[in-house]
Amino acid sequence: MLLELIQGTEGGGLIIIQDSIHYSGRTLLMSFIKAALKRDEVVHLLAFELHEEELKHELGHSCLQRLKFHNAFHDPLGWNENPPFTVHQFITSELDSLLTSNQHSKPVTLVIDSFSFILRHLSPSAVCKTLQQLKKGGAVKTTLGLLHSDMHHRNMVGSICHLATSVLTVAPGHQCHEAVAKTIWRAKSGKISQAMERFSISDDMTVKVQSKPVPVGSGQGEAGDAEVDPTANLTFNLRLSDQERQAKEKLALPFVFSKEKKSALLRPGPGSGRILYEPDANDDYDQEDPDDDLDI
Amino acid sequence: MAAPMKSMGSSFNATSFQKKTRSKLISIPGTRPSVQNGQLIVSTGVTSLDYLIGGGLAVGTVLLIEEDRYNSYSQMVLKYFMAEGVLCGHELFLASAQDHPDDILTELPAPILDDIASHSPMEGRMQLGGPHASQDAMKIAWRYQNLPKVQTALASSSRFGHYYDVSKKMEPEIRQAANCHAFYLPEHSTESSAPRSPLLESYSALLRSIQEVIRKGGFDGAAPPAKSRNVLRIGLPSLGSPLWGDDLCCRDNPAHGHALTTFLYGLRAVLRSSLSVAVLTIPSHLIQSGLSV
Repeated sequence: MLLELIQGTEGGGLIIIQDSIHYSGRTLLMSFIKAALKRDEVVHLLAFELHEEELKHELGHSCLQRLKFHNAFHDPLGWNENPPFTVHQFITSELDSLLTSNQHSKPVTLVIDSFSFILRHLSPSAVCKTLQQLKKGGAVKTTLGLLHSDMHHRNMVGSICHLATSVLTVAPGHQCHEAVAKTIWRAKSGKISQAMERFSISDDMTVKVQSKPVPVGSGQGEAGDAEVDPTANLTFNLRLSDQERQAKEKLALPFVFSKEKKSALLRPGPGSGRILYEPDANDDYDQEDPDDDLDI
Repeated sequence: MAAPMKSMGSSFNATSFQKKTRSKLISIPGTRPSVQNGQLIVSTGVTSLDYLIGGGLAVGTVLLIEEDRYNSYSQMVLKYFMAEGVLCGHELFLASAQDHPDDILTELPAPILDDIASHSPMEGRMQLGGPHASQDAMKIAWRYQNLPKVQTALASSSRFGHYYDVSKKMEPEIRQAANCHAFYLPEHSTESSAPRSPLLESYSALLRSIQEVIRKGGFDGAAPPAKSRNVLRIGLPSLGSPLWGDDLCCRDNPAHGHALTTFLYGLRAVLRSSLSVAVLTIPSHLIQSGLSV
């Protein structure tokens, strides 16, 4: 599930990487960016929390050249004159002018370094409106962002994730280089799929998934426990062996006609009666419910 | 059930007996008086839900549904409600801040309209020449072998409340027969309301729009009696979500804490004196207190 999201085969939408203080999701974000650049997509990065030098260090110089980097780290609130990018520019009108400045026919990916920074300075309903318009509008194929879940109220995180097409929650794994990602993906038909995978990120930002995705909520580990068999542990025998089953089939029931007489009777002849059955409320008699005829 | 010999092509309708009504109740298609208190009720589209709420939804009331976590089942119930309105010929009003109402209307479930027990006697004859196994299919009740399979549920005999096939979408022809008013918040220009108003602009615009539709459509009883009465079904998915401009779902101390409840009071007041019924869904899992136990 994680690898499909990184490869972009799931069709885009809004992807949110939820991290916490225990494990930073930034390296996973960088691997998403690198994969998108490999697919030759146009990637815009709004970096509120990351300096350009750090980014160069993580991604590599060549990648940085191909990326459309918007420096929102130096002056995000516009205190000085001519800020390169401010947080108040995160509205649809400004973003549209930014994204369509280069006319390309390639799909556009917008990466936001973190939603947490934006949510600190803009109202959540405005951010939600912008995200919804980004999701609906045709300009951007995938919007990808980092959200620090421990920085916000639980309901705020919930409201933002409610809009998302997929939510990846990352947490540290048992071994030092591994992490655990829980993916919740919402298909267009409304079906929800969840998976939990262990992954590790190598130095060149490729993600290696260590284990098969385990659907969350199913039985852990071993094969699902067998249903309790009601015919077991009884003092009498309710099961049939094969011989007994064959003998049962062969038994001729009383009052049963031979096959010829049956087929003769089944053929509707002239003047014979017909069985007309129409379902009626009285036919739904439930023997176990004593109050079935009670009319309150 | 013994029945006199009728011709082969008789319909499967039970009787021609019709109850004589002496009351002057207005008879609107798709509604019926409740058996408990005589109030006019409509079906929600889900017959088991109708049974749970006492026969159906009373006209002039509001039904609130708390959404499940991924908003799948609540949307389904709302779509059933709208589909029932299409089939009964009611007018629809759909207001949404997330998806366009026309998109929601294209996803209505398809109704199951054909008669259940409509198998012809031809099938019976075909079965006789069939393979061995079909003959032995019924060992004891073999006289019933050639009868069509009849559902024991009262599907065909109930006229109030229909059944739907969720895997198929409603045909556009059936859907376009219904008159639908749409309110899509991003396309609606919201004038700023009075600064001391407890309502948000989006909610007051929605309430005004509902009042307008009720007044124009004559649902509030102002229409001349010559015109046939109809019921207006109002669907409001995801009310209270951040897309409506409300931060009730995001903060513990929201700025407009009472906007949603004021809107609901206003809605109830508007609906009480009109022939309309509303179903709304609220993402209540986001409004619960954020403190984890």
